[in-house]
Amino acid sequence: MSEFAFKGGLKLENPYPADEIDLIRIPLPDKVILPLQQRIGEQAKPIVGIGEHVLTGQVVATIDDERCAPVHASISGNVVAIDEQVMPHQSGLKALCITIESDGKDDWVDTSIGCTEHYELCTPETIYNKIRVSGIVGMGGAGFPTHTKVQLAEGCHTLLVNATECEPGITCDASLILAYSTKIIRGAEVLFHISRAERAIIAIEDDKPEAIALLKKYCNNDRISIEEIPTKYTSGAEKILVKSVLGIEIPSGKFASDVGVLCLNVGTVVAIFDAVVENRPLISRAVTVAGNAVKVPKNFQVRLGASYDYLLSFTDLEEGKHKVSMAGMMMGIELKGTNYSVTKNTNCIFVDMDEKSAPAKAKECIRCGLCNTVCPVDLLPQQLYWYSKGENIDKAVDYNLLDCIECGCCSYVCPSRIPLVNYYQFSKALYRQQVKEKEQTDKARSRFEFREMRLERNKRERAEMMEAKKKALKEKMASDKAQKDIIEAAVERVSSSKSDTEEQDGN
Amino acid sequence: METKRLDTNQIMRQVIYALVLGVGAQIYFFGSSVIVQIILASITAIIAEAVFLQIRGVKIKPAIMDGSAILTAILLAISIPSIAPWWVVVLGVLFAIIFGKQIFGGLGNNPFNPAMLGYAFLLISYPVQMTQWPGEFISFSQGIDVIFGLNNVDGLTGATRLDDVKTQLMLGTQIRDINLESVSQLWINVGFLLGGIYLLLRRIIFWQIPFSLLLGLILMSAALFFIDPSQFTSPYFHLANGATMLAAFFIATDPVSASTTPRGRVIYGFFIGTLIVIIRVFGGYPDAVAFAVLLMNITVPLIDFYTQPKVFGK
Repeated sequence: MSEFAFKGGLKLENPYPADEIDLIRIPLPDKVILPLQQRIGEQAKPIVGIGEHVLTGQVVATIDDERCAPVHASISGNVVAIDEQVMPHQSGLKALCITIESDGKDDWVDTSIGCTEHYELCTPETIYNKIRVSGIVGMGGAGFPTHTKVQLAEGCHTLLVNATECEPGITCDASLILAYSTKIIRGAEVLFHISRAERAIIAIEDDKPEAIALLKKYCNNDRISIEEIPTKYTSGAEKILVKSVLGIEIPSGKFASDVGVLCLNVGTVVAIFDAVVENRPLISRAVTVAGNAVKVPKNFQVRLGASYDYLLSFTDLEEGKHKVSMAGMMMGIELKGTNYSVTKNTNCIFVDMDEKSAPAKAKECIRCGLCNTVCPVDLLPQQLYWYSKGENIDKAVDYNLLDCIECGCCSYVCPSRIPLVNYYQFSKALYRQQVKEKEQTDKARSRFEFREMRLERNKRERAEMMEAKKKALKEKMASDKAQKDIIEAAVERVSSSKSDTEEQDGN
Repeated sequence: METKRLDTNQIMRQVIYALVLGVGAQIYFFGSSVIVQIILASITAIIAEAVFLQIRGVKIKPAIMDGSAILTAILLAISIPSIAPWWVVVLGVLFAIIFGKQIFGGLGNNPFNPAMLGYAFLLISYPVQMTQWPGEFISFSQGIDVIFGLNNVDGLTGATRLDDVKTQLMLGTQIRDINLESVSQLWINVGFLLGGIYLLLRRIIFWQIPFSLLLGLILMSAALFFIDPSQFTSPYFHLANGATMLAAFFIATDPVSASTTPRGRVIYGFFIGTLIVIIRVFGGYPDAVAFAVLLMNITVPLIDFYTQPKVFGK
């Protein structure tokens, strides 16, 4: 049991316990929609054309940027469209996507070439690259490119495998463990090979005895240990997990890699195993479907790009109006309808009855301070709220707005039901805009100042030049005059001597 | 234990329920006229609140239903003498709701504890009416007569033990010659203490303010008692008299006007406790809760600023 418990957080029973948390494999979808925009960097460029036939695992879009991962076809079939589709985001923003219609065959690209079982013969660089070209990103929800994270953690001492669920109600990580526990152990071994980590710790919440037993059963490497941590919400957040398992507090603004820890989600470790040993790129993931409108919550192994509708067709939903969100009850993003596709960071789809979960109207903050007792990073949410509400962003930043991990614990316990996290997100956006504007005005000002300086300099230089010219002219005139004087003097001398001679001659 | 989800209305209601024992003790010793005061105060509070919400253009019903105005009214009503004339409580509540709360933007925005602001206003403006407590148990009909001025009330009133001791000390009487015992005061304080423990157990209030307030009060009075026991009363006297327990668990814990950081709450409570003793002993008024709380209300932004918890990773 972990000895470094973190402060705050929420102790919540899983509101949607499933009888079985097995990972259900569903038939291939008829169609997949693959977005080309990743978490960071530029949008990938399609390298296939409309009508082209693609194989499962074939790269369909790529980008030169080293930080970004390519996009693979998740089914075999024909590319039918390359156009803008709505993204699972509150804004309803559209982004370029490739749509592939299945031929039902699921023909794969050649997966025999690569590191295979003998990955130990490959250099770490080869494996980094393999992870990159396999399109692996953080599967816990953040979607940060994994090869970058692994590279940043070069020389780390500990590999921390995050097997804690992101939020209460989500069980996809547990189902993944039940299905692929050996892959997790062996994936950790692959990471030993490339990261020089001495040990690996698989951190898992203590309410999952089956998964724990299975991991222990298959763990035959004494450098890998399984650590049970108390079931408490936000224990799955990277910074909090590092603290509660290793007792290391990651400094504000830094990452786990800065303290010598490589922290990866179990889904990511499985994907690394698949990529390195089996040469299969990331084309599917585990997704939990839960919520109060779902009769039996389930976990599905689903191809990326499958639609929410398709996934929901395998669950029994209560009749009525639904409210769909991506991710769970704490950090979920409410979406309009189900016209979205599963992406690499879709860990959960929550379907609630619309009327049951109608948010209570927010009341005034009475500064009761319940929020600061649950804040896992020890902020004062009520103060942040006060300043965010007044759009006093500088003051909110003074109160460490930027350290907020947006876990939603404060919003959950708020007796006035204030959507606190929304205020912080808004303030952060305002802050980023302010910083950007300041950068721009700074740039404009320095440009203006430089121009002024240059004009001034030109003027000065011109004045100096004129001065110099004038001086030169004067000097020239003076020297001319001196010359003239000399000549005149000489002439005079000559003429006077002449007259003298004449006088003498006259004598 | 699973994390509970409270509700602001529920918090206000729980605080009101927790007052029952203390108010019950008041009724037992002084008669049920305190109920009349509570009703008068509540009606005034609701009307004042509704009028001002209307003026401010805020939806009236949800704001009134939050229970905060009624809580303010009850706290004020049980703080003033139960036989004070009706207009005293009405004026006090009007002042508390209008100038204590609504003028700052309603619930959550007031820097001062509204009930204590109302109390201080009354004490300064009507010191006679505010210090005339029933000397004995009075019946409900007698109470009505007194409150609405229907009958002469002479002979019913007396000073509280706190007031009495103060006067005697001023006259130069030694502590050992003064009767310090007051059964009614003791039991009223016990009633509020039990109610406060209920709130702590229900996690409606945090432990910091009540504990540090009582600690401050005990330490300050113990220090004075240690210096000269013939001049100063013991810590027990301060604990068992006046509005000590009401202040510790119900008044100083008003979250809106109190410090909001964990360490800040300790400092805030501690100084209220010490100020209560200082003002009781050296001040001009018999009890001191209102002034101590209001003084510390002013310091809250400062305390909050300097007691921010260490943020994760900083």
